[in-house]
Amino acid sequence: MANAAMMYGSSLANQGKDMVNKEISRFMSVNKLKYFFAVDTRYVLKKLMILMFPYTHQDWEVRYHRDTPLPPRQDVNAPDLYIPTMAFITYILLAGMALGIQKRFSPEVLGLCASTALVWVVIEVLVMLLSLYLLTVHSDLSTFDLIAYSGYKYVGMIFTVLCGLLFGSDGYFVALAWSSCALMFFIVRSLKMKILPSLSSDSMGTGSSAKPQFRLYITVATAVFQPIIIYWLTSHLIRSSESSCLTTGAKAE
Amino acid sequence: MSGFDNFNTDFYQSSYSVDDQNQAGYGYTNTETPYNKQYGQYDYSQPMGYPSPGMMQPQQPYTGQIFQPTQTYTPSSSQSMYSSSFDDEPPLLEELGINFDHIWQKTLTVLHPMKVADGSIMNETDLAGPMVFCLAFGATLLLSGKIQFGYVYGISAIGCLGMYCLLNLMSMTGVSFGCVSSVLGYCLLPMILLSSFGVLFSLQGMMGIILTAAIIGWCSFSASKIFISALAMDGQQLLVAYPCALLYGVFALISVF
Repeated sequence: MANAAMMYGSSLANQGKDMVNKEISRFMSVNKLKYFFAVDTRYVLKKLMILMFPYTHQDWEVRYHRDTPLPPRQDVNAPDLYIPTMAFITYILLAGMALGIQKRFSPEVLGLCASTALVWVVIEVLVMLLSLYLLTVHSDLSTFDLIAYSGYKYVGMIFTVLCGLLFGSDGYFVALAWSSCALMFFIVRSLKMKILPSLSSDSMGTGSSAKPQFRLYITVATAVFQPIIIYWLTSHLIRSSESSCLTTGAKAE
Repeated sequence: MSGFDNFNTDFYQSSYSVDDQNQAGYGYTNTETPYNKQYGQYDYSQPMGYPSPGMMQPQQPYTGQIFQPTQTYTPSSSQSMYSSSFDDEPPLLEELGINFDHIWQKTLTVLHPMKVADGSIMNETDLAGPMVFCLAFGATLLLSGKIQFGYVYGISAIGCLGMYCLLNLMSMTGVSFGCVSSVLGYCLLPMILLSSFGVLFSLQGMMGIILTAAIIGWCSFSASKIFISALAMDGQQLLVAYPCALLYGVFALISVF
C-alpha cells in the first residue's frame, strides 16, 4: 500500500516536472543557458578582477572554436550568467541587511527592492535590443549576452554599498566613482568588439547597415547609463543610514 | 393490533436494563413481527438474552453478535493474507525507508568538513534526517523566544529550489530535487549548534559574529564538498559554496536577530 502511494506520488511529480520543462523550453533553450553557467573558480576570480580594474587587461577579443564561441571556462572574455545572478541575489540580501541596520526592514521592502532592480534590468535589456534592431546593427549579441552584460553592474553596486556602509558617505561616493569608471571602460571595450565588428567591410557595403557612429552612440550610451542606474538603486540605502546616524548621534548628545 | 399493544407495553416495562444488542434485537424483532406471527409460539414479552438466535432460527442459524464483525463474515482470502503476511512484513523502519546507519554516516560526513566525501552516499534521497534537523532548528529557535517556523520552511523551500536550478545548469549530469534538499538539510546541523549557543549567550557581540561566520563557512563548505563529489564537478567548489553560504547566511540572520 505504501509502495503504491509512493509510486503514485513520484509519477505525479514526474508529470509536473515534464510539464514545467516543456513550458520552459518553449521560451528558452536550456542548452544555450548551460553554456553561460559553464564556469569555474579561476574564471570567476579573473572576471571579478577585470570588472573592478579593467585598465590592464590587454586582449578583449572573444575566442571562437569553429564558429561557436568558447565557453567561459576557456575564455575569460566570454560573458557568463553566474556572476550576474549571484551578484543580483547578493545585492538583494545586502539591501535587506542595510535596511535592517537602519531598522527599516520588513519583508515587503525586500520584495520591493528586488522587483525594482529586476525591472531596471529588463528595461535596459529591452532598450538595447530595440535600439540594435531599429538601427539594423548586425551583431551576434543574443538576449542572454545582453542580460549578462547588464548584470555585471551589480558587482559594482555591491562594492559601492559595502563601502558606503563601512566608510560612510565619503566612502560611498569614492566607491561610486571608481566602480562607474571601471564599469564604463569594461562595457565600452567589450561591446566594441561585438557591436562594431569590422568597420572596413561595412563601409564598403551598400550602406544598408547602420552608420558606424550610431553603433558608437549605442555603446557609449550603454556605458553612460550604468553609473546613473548604480546611483539610483543604491543611494536610498546609504542616505538614510547617514541621516539615522546623525539623529542618533544628536540624541546621544 | 392487540398483539402490538401487548408487545409495546411489555417492551417499555422491560427496556431499561437491556443493553444495546438486546435493544437492537428488539428493534429487529419489531419489524419481523408481522412475518413471525404465524409461528406464534415465541414469547416476546419476556426479555430474552438474545432474541436474535431464536428469531433467526427458522431462517438460518445465526451464531454471531450484532454490531461485531464475525470471523465467518469476512472473505477467507483477506483473512489468510493478514495472518500469513504479518510474519513476512518487513520491519517498519525499513518499509519507511529510514536507514539509521546511512543517516549516521551522512551526519559524520557533515561534521568532518576536512574528510573527503564519498560520492555514492547521496544516491538514495533520504528526507527523514533533514526533517529532523529542520524541526530541531525550529525548536532551538523557539527556546530563545523566536517563533519562526514559517520563515525557516519558506526560506529552505526557496533556497532548495534555487540550488536545484543552479546545480542543474552548472553540472554535466543533472540532480534531482530530493538529492538537493537532502544535502542542504543535512548540512543544517552546525546551524543548530549556533542557535542553541544563541539560547545561552547573545550572538550580537564580536564573539557572536566570529562564531556565526565560522559556522556559515562550515555549513557551506561541507555542502559544497558533498555536491562536488556526488556530481563530479571539478574546479567549482567555491562557486557552489557561495550560494550555499548565502542560504545559510539567511538562516544565521534569523538566529542572530
